This record gives sequence, structure tokens and C-alpha cells, in this order.
Amino acid sequence: MKTKRQNINLRELFSRKLENAEIIPEASVSAKLMRRVARKEFLRFNPAKLNIYYLGVILISGIGTALLLFSGQGNSDHFNSSGISASIYRTDTVKYIEIQAKQPDRKSPDKSNVIQIEPKKMLIVSNLPDTSGPKVLIKTESNKGVDLLPTTIPNSLSNKRLFSEVTSEMQKLQSGSKPESFLIDPFVSVGCAPMKVKFYNKSASYDSCRWTFGDGGYSNKRDPEWIFDLAGEYKVVLNVQTNDGKLLTSSATVTVHPRPQAHFEITPDKAVLPNDEIHFMNYSTNAVQFRWNFGDGTGSESFEPRHTYSKFGNYNVSLVVFSDWGCSDSLVVLNAFSGSEYFIDFPNAFIPNAQGPSGGYYSYKSDEGAQVFHPSYSGVNDYQLKIFSKLGIAIFESSDINLGWDGYNKGQLCDPGVYIWKVRGKFRNGEPFIKMGDVTLLKN
Amino acid sequence: MMSDLQIIELCAKHDRKAQQVLYDKYSRLLLGVCLRYATDKAEAEDILQDSFLKIFFNIKEYSGSGSFIGWLRKVAVNTAITHYHKNLKYRYHVEIDEYISVETGVTSFEEDFFTSDELFKVLNELPAGYRMVFNLYAVEGYKHKEIAEMLGIDTNTSKSQYSRAKAVIRDKLEKLGKLKSSYSEND
Repeated sequence: MKTKRQNINLRELFSRKLENAEIIPEASVSAKLMRRVARKEFLRFNPAKLNIYYLGVILISGIGTALLLFSGQGNSDHFNSSGISASIYRTDTVKYIEIQAKQPDRKSPDKSNVIQIEPKKMLIVSNLPDTSGPKVLIKTESNKGVDLLPTTIPNSLSNKRLFSEVTSEMQKLQSGSKPESFLIDPFVSVGCAPMKVKFYNKSASYDSCRWTFGDGGYSNKRDPEWIFDLAGEYKVVLNVQTNDGKLLTSSATVTVHPRPQAHFEITPDKAVLPNDEIHFMNYSTNAVQFRWNFGDGTGSESFEPRHTYSKFGNYNVSLVVFSDWGCSDSLVVLNAFSGSEYFIDFPNAFIPNAQGPSGGYYSYKSDEGAQVFHPSYSGVNDYQLKIFSKLGIAIFESSDINLGWDGYNKGQLCDPGVYIWKVRGKFRNGEPFIKMGDVTLLKN
Repeated sequence: MMSDLQIIELCAKHDRKAQQVLYDKYSRLLLGVCLRYATDKAEAEDILQDSFLKIFFNIKEYSGSGSFIGWLRKVAVNTAITHYHKNLKYRYHVEIDEYISVETGVTSFEEDFFTSDELFKVLNELPAGYRMVFNLYAVEGYKHKEIAEMLGIDTNTSKSQYSRAKAVIRDKLEKLGKLKSSYSEND
């Protein structure tokens, strides 16, 4: 200890020794840091380099182009629909003649799958220019799309009904004119995505066939089943090779409507039942009709209903929505007013301030020393606290949750020992609570 | 060798090489700063990484006036404070009143009696709150009012924490000193 340095104080010691002290970091730190820099650099918008923003732009433009192409396709189908149908019917008519020749006994289509067909007015345009055979163009009078719709929205939610409500244009045509002219018999042709369709190959003479479903899928089965995942109009084509080597073609249209989505929120967030009027916020998409069930036996059909419950309870609120096309979706919120976030708990000991009564008002910040006996709680509306001595004498009472017991009775510090507390009240959702327990008053 | 000015300019353009140069040049000094605010070297290295990320991506904010090292140091200290706040709830909290300031201990030290490593160790063992205040006040030279603002505490808290920190450190150094003296006597 024979240094020449003069003695210095603590502050100087540390600042002199450590202010410019150097520590060599582990080699891995540098590598790790540079990796993080690279990652952050990638996320930073940088016009000079390819980064996530450019990826995003590429992705979005890619999706945009895809959508554009997709919608363009849809549009052209729509605009050309009459032309296409005309040509289909022409070929169908030709086939009709062939089938007719082979099956003269067949009078009407197989009606087992057809539940109900509403009679529609048909406009028959015959003798188109430069046609040589008995070609007939059949068009429904009104707009094709509207024609396909069920006229009423079904009451039941089940898909069965939607599926069984067959109003296929093909079948209308079948019933209206020459049914045998079609080789395709879809079990349903209008429905909600995802839609399962069973197709029947009705050709009398059959060797092999190929179905193409219009969404990129195909099948070689005689009577295939196909699920259309996305909404849209699909042209289903059937190519049949007959036993005598003839090639027949027939097509049908399957319309898949988008499914609506039910979605709602309940406000206020922490409702007080039964006092609060509950407002149901509706975020459903693609829907035109709404059926609410508030879980207490009542319901509503308005878009955003308001409802007041008559008593506290945990209700299951459900919403069923229907689209224009009768497609449905539902959402159920179980225990919509569950009070799981509400609680009230008391400590089992506290140390009153020996200097004198504090009055009992506390805050979580000011009462770090646990000088006031008070609850920890959430969502408490009504509140009444009583403290009893061991002899059963009430020594404190509070109906203000912000007012706890400071350990004093009539200005005198109570003796250390066990005291009994009892609390009763209601949570914000209207649920009542009663709790009892003991608390030990400790000496500081 | 690049000058600081060149490095700064290149770093502002996010030049990867310049960043590496900057790191190689100042990481040891800044780790020294970080280690004073951490409980161990691993934590200090975490703070160091965060500091350099801030430095690399905010180097444009260095105005050019004032020392660059001072700016780097300030970033590291601020990062350490952020880190302290972030980890506050996870730290083992030592009751402050455990240490009662006793001013009767040793008040002066010989500069070279303790090594830097020993002093670092003393700091690392300090409760986080003490360490922050002590470093900021004694080493960085901030005023209690500034420290109070940085840490979000009361000025008086900063003062009392500092004096308590001093007492703890003094206590530790005394014990260490005795230990060391006994070694040298045995030699």
C-alpha cells in the first residue's frame, strides 16, 4: 500500500477508474448485432435496396393483377352468356334428336331430385337465321341471375333446404320444354359456398366420359360429386363417348353464391345488468337479413338492436344472418355477460399507522405499508364492509369502496389481534356477492 | 484508417463496413459503460447490442457539435435506462432500508488499491436502483434533478438512493480492502 497517489473520495474513485474502462465484448456479440442490423435494415424503407416494402408492392400488384384477370374472366362470361347458351342449346338440340331416337319411351325427366319448380314464362325464339335444323333458342324472360334466385329467404338455417330448393335453369328448361335434351342432371345447381353438387350422367349410351367443372377440376366418373369452394358461376361440361363411338357434349351452369359472415360486438364492454341498455354492434358482411337471439327468450330482426335484460344472468347471444341468396351464417357469444373479470378480495393482515388514525382513505400507491384494511377489487358497483371484534361488536362500517379501515375505533387504536370482516355488494354485471373472513391487526 | 467523420458519414448511408468499423472502434468503451449498468456481462452485451442498433439507425441525429464519444456514451446510457425500466418488474427487489447509511466508514480511497474489475463487480452486485443512480451521478456526472427525470423518480429519491448506494459500496469496498490487506500481509 505504498502508492504515491493521493487519497480520493468514492465518487472520484469510480469516475476515474471506470469512466473510460474498456471491456472486450464476446466475438459473438458482433455477429449477433450485425444480424439484427441486417434484419432491421430489411424492414427499413430503403429506395436503394430491395426490401420488405418492395416485396409488399410486388405481392399486392400480383394479387391485383390476379384479381383483375379473374374478374375480367367473370365479366366476359356474363356478357357472352346469351351467346354461349345459344350455342349450347343448339348442340343440345341436336343431341336431343339422337337420344329421342334411341329412347322413344322416355317422356319426362327423372323428377326424383326436383323438389319444386316454379313455372316461369319462357320466351321461345325459333327459326334463327341461317339455321338448317330444328334449332330452338330458349331464354328465360327476365334476367338470368334474378331468375335463379329463390323468391323467399328460407326460414330454416340448414343447408339441406338451400340445397333442396332446386331452381336450376336447366331443370326449368327440362320441365318447360324438352327435358331429355340434357345429359347433365345436377342434383342442385344453386347454393352457397362451399357447395357440394352431385352430377348425374343421363346419357343412355355410355362408354366413357369426362366431366370438367369449370373451376379447374375434372372427373372421369359416371356420376361424380364435386365441391365448389368459391363463389362464382361455373360452366360444367360433360363429354360422353357413346358405345357406338359418337362424341356427345353437354353443359350446365352451377351458381355458387358467397356465404355471408356473421359478426357482432356487444357494448358497453362491461355492462351492468339489468340496468344498462345493451347495444349490439353488427359487423356482418354479405348479409341482408338478421335474426338475433338475446338468450333470454327474446330476439330481434333489426340490424343493430338494443336490448335491456330484465335481470342479471349469463346469456348466450346468437346472431344468424342470411344473404340475398338465402345463404346463412351464425355467431354465438357464450356467456356474453360473464363476470369472470370481476372480483373482490381482502388481505388477511394489516399494520395500522401507530401515529394516529389516517381516516381510511387509501390508494394503491399511498398504502404500500398496508396501513389500511381494504379490498383488491375489480368491477364492484355496490359495496358494504363491516368489521367486528371477536366479541361480535361492530366497530367499523363503510359503504365506500375507497374507504377502508385504518385500525382505529373512535379515535383509539384497536388492540392487535383477529377481527372479523363481512362484505356484501354487487358486481357491475349485477351479480351479488357476500364474503366473510378474518383479518389480523398487527402491531407496527 | 477512417476518421470518425468519415465513419459517421458512411454510417448515415447505412454502409455495412463502416458500421463494422464503428463497432470495432467503440464497442469496448461502450461495453465498459453498459457493464456499469448491468448485473453481468451478458446483460451488458444485450444493452450494447441495443445501443449500437440505436446508434446505427439514428446516427443522423448526431449534430456534429460536441464529442462523438460523448454522444455514443449518452446513447448507451439511455439504452441502459430503457433496459432498466423494461426489466424493473423482473428484478429481485432489495428492500432499501436493509442498508442504513453510516457515514462513519472510510471516506477516502487510494486510486489504485482496487482494480477496475473489482469496482465493476461491486457495481454489478448493487441493487438495480442504486446502481442506476450511482452511475448516473458519480460516473456520468448528471445532476440529481436530471437523474430524477431520466428514471422517473423523485429528486429526493435520487439523492437518498445515491447516499445509500455510497454506503453499500463503501461497506463492500471496506470488506474487500480488509480481504486484500490480509492477502498482502500473508505474502
